[in-house]
Amino acid sequence: MKKMDPKQAKAYFRLRTTLIMIYLGIGVLVSFGIVLFAESLSSFTVMGIPLPYYMGSQGAILTFIVLLFFNAVISDYVDEKFGLVPKDSTKETDQAANQ
Amino acid sequence: MDAQFLVSLGLIVVTFALYIGIAIYNKAKETSDFYVAGRGVPPVFNGMAIGADWMSAASFIGLAGTVMILGYDGLAYIMGWTGGYLLLTFLLAPQLRKYGRYTVPEFIGDRYRSNTARLIAAVATIIISFTYSVGQLSGSGVVIGRLLEVDTMIGTLIGVVLIAFYSAMGGMKGITWTQVAQYLVLIVAYLIPVIFMSMQLTQNPVPWLSYGEVISEMRSIDQELGISEYIVPFTEASKWQFMALMFTLMAGTAGLPHVIVRFYTVKTMKAARWSGAWALLFIGLLYLSAPAYAAFSRFILMTEVAGSSLGNLPAWTQPWVDTGKLSLADGNSDGVLQWTELAISNDIVVMATPEIANLGIFVIGLMAAGAMAAALSTAGGLMIAISAALSHDIYYRSINPNASEKKRLSVGRWSIVLATVVAGLIALNPPGAITQIVAWAFALASGSFFPALLLGVWWRRANGPGVIAGMITGLSVTLGYIFAAKYGGFTILGIIDTGAGVFGAAAAIIANITVSLLTAPPSKQTQDEVTDLRYPEQIQYKNGEYYKKDAQ
Repeated sequence: MKKMDPKQAKAYFRLRTTLIMIYLGIGVLVSFGIVLFAESLSSFTVMGIPLPYYMGSQGAILTFIVLLFFNAVISDYVDEKFGLVPKDSTKETDQAANQ
Repeated sequence: MDAQFLVSLGLIVVTFALYIGIAIYNKAKETSDFYVAGRGVPPVFNGMAIGADWMSAASFIGLAGTVMILGYDGLAYIMGWTGGYLLLTFLLAPQLRKYGRYTVPEFIGDRYRSNTARLIAAVATIIISFTYSVGQLSGSGVVIGRLLEVDTMIGTLIGVVLIAFYSAMGGMKGITWTQVAQYLVLIVAYLIPVIFMSMQLTQNPVPWLSYGEVISEMRSIDQELGISEYIVPFTEASKWQFMALMFTLMAGTAGLPHVIVRFYTVKTMKAARWSGAWALLFIGLLYLSAPAYAAFSRFILMTEVAGSSLGNLPAWTQPWVDTGKLSLADGNSDGVLQWTELAISNDIVVMATPEIANLGIFVIGLMAAGAMAAALSTAGGLMIAISAALSHDIYYRSINPNASEKKRLSVGRWSIVLATVVAGLIALNPPGAITQIVAWAFALASGSFFPALLLGVWWRRANGPGVIAGMITGLSVTLGYIFAAKYGGFTILGIIDTGAGVFGAAAAIIANITVSLLTAPPSKQTQDEVTDLRYPEQIQYKNGEYYKKDAQ
């Protein structure tokens, strides 16, 4: 256990928060954004399905799944870059020990 | 007793034997086994368990039917129930995991330093999980009743005995591994009929790519009939209702105690992120298939059933007409069944389609086993949440803090048995439509837990009086709006009772912020704890200093 530069810790938090805001923004865009303009987007089609219907039934869900995996991979990478490699998991102590 | 009965019964018995075997093998030995599976569940399997926990009888039996009947407007359920995992995984799950407690009420009580808040949260958990489980039990009663040709009540009782047995026995550890098996059973059962129908109708075995073709054909049929087109948005309700419902389902998903507690069963924040990603992938498989299922069912009904003479209807129609869920009335007395004369209930589309499409007795039996897996796995998770709220948050933390490990386990087990039996008794005579009750449970969760957890994790200044005001306001506004919209005809922007969560969540956030700012800030130690949640386990924040744990 040693002290850490507060600047580095704050930079870590800022980076993670920014990334999460971007992911959530994309998530809102493909769901709420498309719904908001559903009528005017109906003339576009994907695989024979009008765009708003396609996004609601497939596009949005696929985007959500990709975002979650992307987040998991990028977060691991960011942790590593900040020197935060998880300890060997068998040594993990249970933080919920009855307090 | 025909071949169909024997095949359905056989498949259900075999899968049940598997679940019970797994529960016995993984019997809980310690408190942490019972509530959080000893925190040793790998993310991929946890993802499957979340999937089974999450996908209830409503998703399995009701979703495709809802999309088929509502058309575009039904997609709010698809996007809402999947989008909730973004909120959960990005904003709540890893942080809650780092705080490390057994239950959601415990987090709220400890984070906000308030016993009152913990008790309110425990009561809210019980109310939300209980209403939800009544729906599951009556759903399983319908399936057992229809397929084994016994009375629905007997079906419900069989379900009650099974759930009480394996959740009380195995606790979270048993349930987790049982749910992994249940996920596999339910997803296989769901995909097989969709793939078969896709091959029948389009000669393409990949339903997700092929149903566009069917949708374009249906557009021209709809136009010929002069009815509103399947894919046209907002034919059933306003755009605002669509978005309010979608928000309610998302925020409710992120606030349901039995789902959040699943993220307590993994080891680290990193594992929590991966669990969320795997969970949505496994859940997405079913949610991506439901619109395909809906399109194929509607197409088959339109082209193969509609237009046939009423004197010569296929054999599958009679049992469903008898249940009252299907009506075929010859409105213009021409002896031919028109599409507009056919009324099918949301709830039977998934169960009836394999019969309609003639997919054979094995597939029909598999659907029965899958629907049972969906109902039982969700009910199991809900029972653990109720039992944890009763035995841990109320009994251990408030009534008897000196209770021994053994005593707490036995209180936990007995509260499951009690909760299952009471829920089962109510389910014998369900108080309303299943999907409606489920939607209300989501509205309540998005009005109470979602704001309390969001502010608890992300805003240091939120305090005890704030969260108490927030939860009470959120619950009252949600309940008030549900009643006003449903019975008083009061609506804002055409938003009906199922979209009530959007007002509940907004009111709760405003109340929490206002009251927190008007009262004393939380202690330095509490604020430090909240700052600490911003970082992974390797960084610790204490007294304004950051500490890094040594790499090993």
